[in-house]
Amino acid sequence: MTEATERQVIDADRVHRHADMTPQVRQFGSVNWRGLWTLYHREVKRFFKVFTQTLAAPVVTTLLFYTIFIIALQNRVGTVGSAPFPVFLAPGLVMMTILQNSFANTSSSMMTSKIQGNIVDVLMPPITPLEMLCGFLGGGITRGIIVGLSATLAMSFLVEFPFHNVGAILFFALTASAMMALLGMIGGIWAEKFDHMAAITNFVVVPLSFLSGTFYSISRLPEIWQVVAKFNPFFYAIDGLRYGFIGQGDAPFWLGAMVMISVNLVLFLVVHRMLVTGYKLKS
Amino acid sequence: MTDRTHLLLGGRPVARKFGLFNWLGLATFYRREMARGFKIWKITLAAPAIRAVLFASVFGLAIDQSTVTMGGLPFMAFLVPGLIAVAALERSFESAAFSIVYDKTEGIFGDLAVLPLTPGEIVLGFAGATVTGSLMVSTVVWIALLPFDARWPAEPLALVFFVAVGSLMIGLFSQISGLWARKWDYINSVQTFVFLPFVFFSGVFFALDALPVAIQPYARLNPVFYIVDGIRFGVSGQAEVSPWLGGGVCLGVMLFFWVVSYRLFAIGYRMKS
Repeated sequence: MTEATERQVIDADRVHRHADMTPQVRQFGSVNWRGLWTLYHREVKRFFKVFTQTLAAPVVTTLLFYTIFIIALQNRVGTVGSAPFPVFLAPGLVMMTILQNSFANTSSSMMTSKIQGNIVDVLMPPITPLEMLCGFLGGGITRGIIVGLSATLAMSFLVEFPFHNVGAILFFALTASAMMALLGMIGGIWAEKFDHMAAITNFVVVPLSFLSGTFYSISRLPEIWQVVAKFNPFFYAIDGLRYGFIGQGDAPFWLGAMVMISVNLVLFLVVHRMLVTGYKLKS
Repeated sequence: MTDRTHLLLGGRPVARKFGLFNWLGLATFYRREMARGFKIWKITLAAPAIRAVLFASVFGLAIDQSTVTMGGLPFMAFLVPGLIAVAALERSFESAAFSIVYDKTEGIFGDLAVLPLTPGEIVLGFAGATVTGSLMVSTVVWIALLPFDARWPAEPLALVFFVAVGSLMIGLFSQISGLWARKWDYINSVQTFVFLPFVFFSGVFFALDALPVAIQPYARLNPVFYIVDGIRFGVSGQAEVSPWLGGGVCLGVMLFFWVVSYRLFAIGYRMKS
């Protein structure tokens, strides 16, 4: 529609309104697609605007980690299972950066909006809690996938990725980003200060993404921690993605898939409930 | 007191007199910088300790600890001093630069220019807070890492010397970066794209002989290498280069940064505009 015709339509609408003198309520279908898209768009623009921090920095950090671990350990570890150490390590690092970045996206967005007080800008518009959830979630997933993809690309210059099962790679990358984006929303809604958020990141997210099998096979852990790992969704995310790349994992594929789906479902319902009740958002 | 009486009686303001140093001002400035770090101790003290423990656990689980060696030491004995160095240097980098950029974004950085503090005192105040903070974080990290490699430092004096001079070097670099940075983006970029690579390739996690032969000579051009090697000498008594040479390099680079930072504060680079 050209600008001129658009103007005419709007004018026609106004004339109509003036005619019967009652303002019309804007009608939505079952989903406010325009609102949902706008929120998603904002969430993506937020991190693209500072892409050196949100995209380039994580990729460089991942490359640094990869390089130092390879230099330090290549001749000292040999193979993990049947995979050479570099091939084992690379998918783990891809998942680590996905986990940390999708979490960072939703949590920092929520947090900043709350601190600066512009959270009302997403609470006021005619979008349902479900649409709000999906907008944030979409932003988090997008960041996770883009960073994961860039890290994979960057590392593929240094190591040969086997790509055993592309479906599994996509599935675990998506479900892991979604899980972390949802967790990020919960964290962002709960936290009252940047301090709280930094604490969650430093004391929960980073340790879990480090210790859940990024750098070693879970079978190297003491018995008791192996049992603990079986209840840790981060472990299934890392293990699943690694299975997708190299066809070798500590847990069966279907179990990992089931865990990821159920965790996402539960988190989704929790966040939805929080948004519906307005927990710590509406006072 | 006499100043004030004079002011009341004579009705004429009199310039406050300082000796060679404005000690009170310097101490106040130092206290402010220390308080800033302490206020967020979870981020400045606890988080580095957690990160060091994470790295130690991850490396410890990935290798067979009883057999693997690095640079002539058992792997953990090699890694622990490296992790102490990383914590000290990261803290040093985050000290002055973060204060400066925070003040810049808040629009209160210009306040420094009107204080009765000379550029030398400002540099000294920042540097003093950096060294104190970094000595504290190294102690905390050292304690946190005791379960991985329990040993009393072999050369405690050398250890303190290298932590202090290394932190000064990075702390002064941090002042320069902070002055240069206009926004958070700038300082985060320096950290990720300059500081981290220098630290990660300084022999924190591996001895230089683990590097490809072609790169090895260049790795020695990295001044951070001499800090890390010195700290490792302090903890384990073993070093790749003579601690005297290492100490000399660290002091030289530190002095260079000191002069640059002093000069930048003196001309008010990106400060008075």
